[in-house]
Amino acid sequence: MASESKMIMLRSSNNEVFEVEEALAFESQTIKHMIEHDCADTVIPLPKVSSNILAKVIEYCKKHVTSPKDDNNELESFDAEFVNIDKNVLFGLMSAANYLNIKSFLDLTSQALADIIEEKC
Amino acid sequence: MGTTSSTLSNSLNSTHPRPMKLKLDDIPESCVAMVLSYLDPPEICQLARLNRAFRAASSSDFIWDHKLPSNYMYLVDRFLHVGCAHLVKKDIYARLTTPISFDGSTKQIWVDKRTGGVCLSISAKGLSITGIDDRRYWNHIPTEESRFHTIAYLQQIWWLEVDGDIDFQFPTGTYSLLFRLQLGKVTKRLGRRICNSENIHGWDIKPVQFQLATLDGQHAVSRFFLDNLGSWAYYHAGDFVVEKPNALTNIKFSLTQIDCTHTKGGLCVDSVLICPSSLGKNLRSTV
Repeated sequence: MASESKMIMLRSSNNEVFEVEEALAFESQTIKHMIEHDCADTVIPLPKVSSNILAKVIEYCKKHVTSPKDDNNELESFDAEFVNIDKNVLFGLMSAANYLNIKSFLDLTSQALADIIEEKC
Repeated sequence: MGTTSSTLSNSLNSTHPRPMKLKLDDIPESCVAMVLSYLDPPEICQLARLNRAFRAASSSDFIWDHKLPSNYMYLVDRFLHVGCAHLVKKDIYARLTTPISFDGSTKQIWVDKRTGGVCLSISAKGLSITGIDDRRYWNHIPTEESRFHTIAYLQQIWWLEVDGDIDFQFPTGTYSLLFRLQLGKVTKRLGRRICNSENIHGWDIKPVQFQLATLDGQHAVSRFFLDNLGSWAYYHAGDFVVEKPNALTNIKFSLTQIDCTHTKGGLCVDSVLICPSSLGKNLRSTV
C-alpha cells in the first residue's frame, strides 16, 4: 500500500465533487462497503446528499478522525456546537448520517433532534 | 392534544431559505425510531400521534427493547398469563406498566412508565403483623386510600412488630424499601376527609425502628419518630443493591417498636414499597 493516503471522490446530488482521504470516507460504512466490494468507480455518487449537507458531514468526520482519542471534552463541545443549528439542516444531516451509515453521527443528530422535540413537548 | 401535535409539526417544518428543505414526513422510519429512543415512553406515545412514520416508528421493537426492564421475560412468565410470543415489545411494556396483583391480591408489581424501573408493593395483608388476629390490637379497615383498598389499623399495643419477606428477581440496580404509614384513622364524612386523632399515642417517646436484610448479607437500619398526622408518608427503611442480573433476591424487612414501657396506638399501616432508589428519593418525607 502507498504510504500517502488514498483519496476518494464523492459526488453530491447537485453534481459537486468532494475529494476526501480514504480514512475519513471510511467513517461511512456505506462508502466503506462500496469500496471494499468494488461497487464504485473512481467517483462515488451520493444522490441523496446535497453539497451543503455533504460538506458538513465531511467536516464532522474530519474532526473525529483527526482528533486525538483521549480528548473527549474537545470532541464533546465540538459535537454540541455542530448540532446547534437550524432544524431543517439537522434533519438533512440525520438523513445523510442514516444513508451513509455513520453511527456516531446518527446518534448525535438523533439525540439533538430528540432534545428539540423534548423542549417543545 | 391535536393543537400540540400540529404546532410541533408546523414548527419543525418551518420554512427556511435553504436549497434542500427536508420535511418531517421525509425522515425515514428508522431515523424516527432512533430519535424516539432518546425520549421517555410517555413522550413517545404522545409523538406517535404526529404522523404515519412516527406512529409506525413508535411501535418498533428497537425502541422498547431498551425501555423494558432487563428482567421483563421473568415478569411476563410469572405475572402475565399470556404467552408473549405474539405481543410486540410496546404492548409488553404497556401491560407491565399497569399494576398486576398476585399472591391473593396481597402484592402488586408494576414497571414505572417513565423510567422503566420495577416496583413492588406489599399490602398489610401480605405482612406478618404481631397480634393481627386480636381485634383489641389490630383491625383491617377498608379504604380508598390504599391501592389494596385495605389497611391495618393499630388500636393499641405494647409490642409493635410488622415483618415481611419476599423473593423476587429484580433487574440490577439500587432499590429502596419504604413503609407507607399514617397516624390517625381517616374516615369520609359528607365527602370530606376527617382524621380521628384521639387514639394516637406513644410515638414521641422512642423512635420506630425500620430494618431490612438480604440473603447475600446486605443490611440497613433506620429510626424515625412518626409524626405524620392525618397524611400518608413513606418511611425509608434502607437501600439494597442487586448485582446479579438473573438472581432471585430474598429480602426480609421489619418495622418494630418493642419498648414495653409504653403502649402505642393510632397507627395505619398500608403497605411496603420496593422501588428503584431514584424513584424512592422523591417519595421520602423524612431525612
